[in-house]
Amino acid sequence: MGVALLAEPPAETVLRQAQDAVAPSDDELIALALSGRGDAFGTLVERYERAVYHLAYRTLREIEEAKDAAQEAWIKAYRALASFRPGAKFATWIFTICYRVCCDRLAKRKRYSGEEPPDFADPTDGPERAFENAEEAARLRAAIEALPEKYRVVITLFHLQGKQYEEIAAVLGLPLGTVKTHLFRAKDLLRAALGPTAQRRTT
Amino acid sequence: MTDDELDRALFALPLEQPPPDLHGKILAATVLRPVPTFRQWELWALGAALVLIGWLTVWAVSTTPEAGSRFGYAIVVTVRALGLFSRSTYVWLAVGLSSVWWISSLPFMATPRSTVYNR
Repeated sequence: MGVALLAEPPAETVLRQAQDAVAPSDDELIALALSGRGDAFGTLVERYERAVYHLAYRTLREIEEAKDAAQEAWIKAYRALASFRPGAKFATWIFTICYRVCCDRLAKRKRYSGEEPPDFADPTDGPERAFENAEEAARLRAAIEALPEKYRVVITLFHLQGKQYEEIAAVLGLPLGTVKTHLFRAKDLLRAALGPTAQRRTT
Repeated sequence: MTDDELDRALFALPLEQPPPDLHGKILAATVLRPVPTFRQWELWALGAALVLIGWLTVWAVSTTPEAGSRFGYAIVVTVRALGLFSRSTYVWLAVGLSSVWWISSLPFMATPRSTVYNR
């Protein structure tokens, strides 16, 4: 399937560029930021801002709330920067903070609305309908958005961090086996959503 | 669709584009945020001290007979002790202040120190 040969670089490339190509490492930037260099923290924000927002948006599915959650995550990270363990992966750390912020917001949302958010999107506006006329990337995105929350988050972190299952498990605070199971199930659901369309296109 | 095809499709998806003002907002709330003059606990301590002083003042005034006249007398005594009723005090203050102003307006030029080469 030829999903999305898009002009924008894929997530993995963005993260790899962020981690490898730029001269100072995350640890060095954190040390500089802790010594009072605000521009070093600014560089960290530049590196991971998009990925953090992506995680927040995929988890919360609302632009404004994702923006607020991403900002809150960065503020928390800034305040807790001294507690960052050197040698750990900054990406995993900031994703963990962001995911917790999103979980708090989801819990509040449930409390105030008085009802559980639907685990599955309404089939009338779910992937099937979205596939009819949209581009394939948009269809995949719609299929991801239609996933239940626990699978959507795992797929989003898989998208951001690649096949680093331990890191994903650390962010979510779940056992490695559970993460792999969720990922397997999420991929199954995505295949189920994308499969018939792909077959329809080839026939 | 195979697992590899799905993985490729997932990794080919671009990340969501954050709103343009997000970066500025994050920096404004973190590194560019002005440092408060007082910390939270300092404000609490200051407030508590002020309340205590106020309460002690009210208590002292309310329990002391002729508190007003005694307070006025104490002020007069303090002013006299500082010499603020004497004309010479103000003369010397004026001399001192004008000297400070005159010295601060002198154009002292910084001269570079000679460099010694150890060859």
